[in-house]
Amino acid sequence: MTEQLEQNTPLAIDAQHLVKRYKHKTAVDGISLQIGRGETFGILGTNGAGKTTTVEMIAGLRQPSEGSVRILGLDPFTDRAKVRQILGVQLQQAYLHGSLTVRELVNLYRSFYPNPLETDRALSMVQLTDKARTKFDNLSGGQMQRLSIALALIGQPRVVILDELTTGLDPKARRRVWSTIESLSDQTVILVSHAMDEVERLCNRVALIDEGRVIAQGSPHQLKEQTQSATLEDAFVALTGKDVHDDEEEDA
Amino acid sequence: MSAVTVKVRKPGLKAWLRLIQAEAKMVIRDYAGLIVPLGLPLLILVMQGISIDEMDQELAEGVTVFSYYALPVVISMVVATIAVINMPSFLATYRKTKLLRRLAVTPASPAMVLIAQMVVSFIQVILGIGLAFAVALLFFGADLPLSLWVALAVLLATCAAMYGLGMIVASVAPTPNSSVAIGLVAFFGIAALGGMFGPADNLPDTLQTIGAWLPFGAAVEAFQAAWVGETVEAQNWVVLGGSAVVGAGVAAVLFRWE
Repeated sequence: MTEQLEQNTPLAIDAQHLVKRYKHKTAVDGISLQIGRGETFGILGTNGAGKTTTVEMIAGLRQPSEGSVRILGLDPFTDRAKVRQILGVQLQQAYLHGSLTVRELVNLYRSFYPNPLETDRALSMVQLTDKARTKFDNLSGGQMQRLSIALALIGQPRVVILDELTTGLDPKARRRVWSTIESLSDQTVILVSHAMDEVERLCNRVALIDEGRVIAQGSPHQLKEQTQSATLEDAFVALTGKDVHDDEEEDA
Repeated sequence: MSAVTVKVRKPGLKAWLRLIQAEAKMVIRDYAGLIVPLGLPLLILVMQGISIDEMDQELAEGVTVFSYYALPVVISMVVATIAVINMPSFLATYRKTKLLRRLAVTPASPAMVLIAQMVVSFIQVILGIGLAFAVALLFFGADLPLSLWVALAVLLATCAAMYGLGMIVASVAPTPNSSVAIGLVAFFGIAALGGMFGPADNLPDTLQTIGAWLPFGAAVEAFQAAWVGETVEAQNWVVLGGSAVVGAGVAAVLFRWE
């Protein structure tokens, strides 16, 4: 191992007062998140709420206008090379080399890391062993998504960011992906989603984001109790006054 | 609380080889990246062979009219099609599909893709020139340049210049389609003024002068000098070197990974 964790290791994620302003819009408006090691933390909100911008700032893909981020105490911008080795990211709608096969892609991405998973293990983890010789372009949406997750995990990262994990997948494919995430016991996982059932099933804690701000934070159970709701979806409606499905229809 | 200790290990030789292999497979499996830069120069070579009068006549000892006019044009074409049309369209596609963004969250930087692309396209250049030479030697009795080392130096300078131009195309093109459109217009523009459709000497004086100050025309003139064993004019080196520097400068300012 090239990485030695010290005894007094800090939070997995410590984001303080993140702000992201564009010309005519403030996409993220003072979000703070503290995520402990080993947690599966959900970031929940409607489309355009600022979820993806927030995790892109955490991942070091977007420079915050204000605020700071630490991943296991490292700054994703000034400690970029170190952070890239301990962070795995599954981006929303990211493409790969389309003419390469699944196995070729896994081999390519594992060559970037000092201590990667074995190719066959990564493929079996996301149930893609039988698709190893299939080109990326010929995969279904669910298979692409599962490969994307495998590539996020290939470097055995300490922290994993998964953005819109199962959007567009059929129920069977969703359950397969959920099983994969549930099998991660050592990693800290940040799950960005607007799928309430997914977050409720997978996450220890959740931050509800609306219009660039955290409006509530806690375990799914706490949020339901706080709003006296039967489901997390009801709690979301009670807290935001919005229905996530209306938003999906607008997008469609 | 202090941060975790992470010993940085940059992607090594294996990662570079995998990435170069990946880029090569993308080109081979896509066909278009091979057909145009290998096929088009061959067609032009044959067309030049048909249109050049007295092509067997010797301009210098052992150098025919055909070798002097056709081969410098064809070599410059191979380099230009790959660097000005192909490479920018690959980069524009990668940018549009967020492939570069995906790589930006791994220890491999998007710059590695750019370098791997250049390595693969340089291999294409060598293949393209080899193929053109083989046809020229077999069917048109072409000759090697009298100053072989100078010709090799000109080839490297031409690659640098054309990649510079290609990087300008990749920097200003917002989409893959626009990259191909801009690349094609740039390619045909510099190639027409540089002698692709017939000797540049046949152009009006002003266009001839403009052509000589563009990388294609400068490359053709420099290759012609190497072919007959003459000294390459300083202007040709300045144009080729200048194109590389300007291209790198523009790319440094305007090129976007996403």
